[in-house]
Amino acid sequence: MNGKYLTSALPAVLADNPVERLASLFDAHHDRLYRLARRMVASTDDALDLVQETFLKAARFPKSIPVGAADEEAWLVRVLINVRRDQWRKTSARNRHDKARFRGSDLVSGDQDPEAALIAKNAVWQALDALPPRRRAIVVMYELEGLAIPAIAALLGISAITVRWHLSMGRRDLVGALKAYIGDTNEDY
Amino acid sequence: MKTIRELLREADPLEHEPTLPSGDRDLRRQAVLAAASGSRACAGVQSSSRIAVFAIVALTLIVISSLGSRVWSPFVSDVQGAVRFEVRLAEDKPARGLSAAKVSDSGRTVYLHSEVIVDNGDIATASIVQGDDPSQYAVDLKFSESGGEKMRKATANHIGKPMAILLDGRVVMAPLVRSPIGDSAIVTGHFTKAKAERIVNGIGIQ
Repeated sequence: MNGKYLTSALPAVLADNPVERLASLFDAHHDRLYRLARRMVASTDDALDLVQETFLKAARFPKSIPVGAADEEAWLVRVLINVRRDQWRKTSARNRHDKARFRGSDLVSGDQDPEAALIAKNAVWQALDALPPRRRAIVVMYELEGLAIPAIAALLGISAITVRWHLSMGRRDLVGALKAYIGDTNEDY
Repeated sequence: MKTIRELLREADPLEHEPTLPSGDRDLRRQAVLAAASGSRACAGVQSSSRIAVFAIVALTLIVISSLGSRVWSPFVSDVQGAVRFEVRLAEDKPARGLSAAKVSDSGRTVYLHSEVIVDNGDIATASIVQGDDPSQYAVDLKFSESGGEKMRKATANHIGKPMAILLDGRVVMAPLVRSPIGDSAIVTGHFTKAKAERIVNGIGIQ
């Protein structure tokens, strides 16, 4: 068995530097992916796992990664969302909510009324957790990352109309879940 | 009353958490690159750099010889601890040189490598922790410095595959390795408190 390892390990690092390419992909895009991932899962560890899983997919399919920073980023973001979607489908809605609640307890900050703020944050996380991952990613990119609709469309390889549709469906779900905290709901996309 | 955007911003974890420690990032980087090296090996791509060949042969020999010294350690640890603890790498599919083992309390079978990565001698402390269910307990193990190093080395090249944790020769769990495992591990075998205490006491005997 050891002998087999010896021979099969030999060509590993010697190939046309796919490992080096992966290293540079990682260095260039890890932080961006982490920021997106962190806003889509319940903890920093889950976010790190999600990004790692994304790069492991990249390691498995090196030939399918396009060349060029923008295309690489788009490819990785789409893979990340797909990985997240697979995880999300496996977790029952109840587990997601439990996790969201747990996660919320880390979020106490120096607000005037920490308890009320915490309850609101919990509600927001639960509402976000109920969104399908692609929709959640679109909401995150638009509302928190400040990306414009055409930029999101390009990143995800879908039309601007589809992005707009996801935003309005996401907004409808969030408004439904967060009625108690929302004043003006007349924001347009 | 607030807008959706305001609510989202207030609940944004990135606003409330310190930036990611570079150590976490580096560990993940290592894991990804180790996995990439592994998958290239399977693809069997030809190449030509001799220095790298020698480097890998040397490295592999070092790893094998360091693992080799562990092979007989279960017999030694029989003397050391009332509960024999071992961690071994495992596979989901049978192959030559691997031995099949059932994972306790599940129908799952894993195929164990013969080398023992760490055993009782590599544990610094063992303590009981409460599991998800109040009636169930888990065992939290902290490895010694050399034990942690051995775990890291072995698991870095084993991402996505199972790692078997054996107590008295029985596989109690075989979680998939998601990232290199270093200083500690939590063994969740759905133990009763008494069983967990027996394990902790048994493991702790030096």
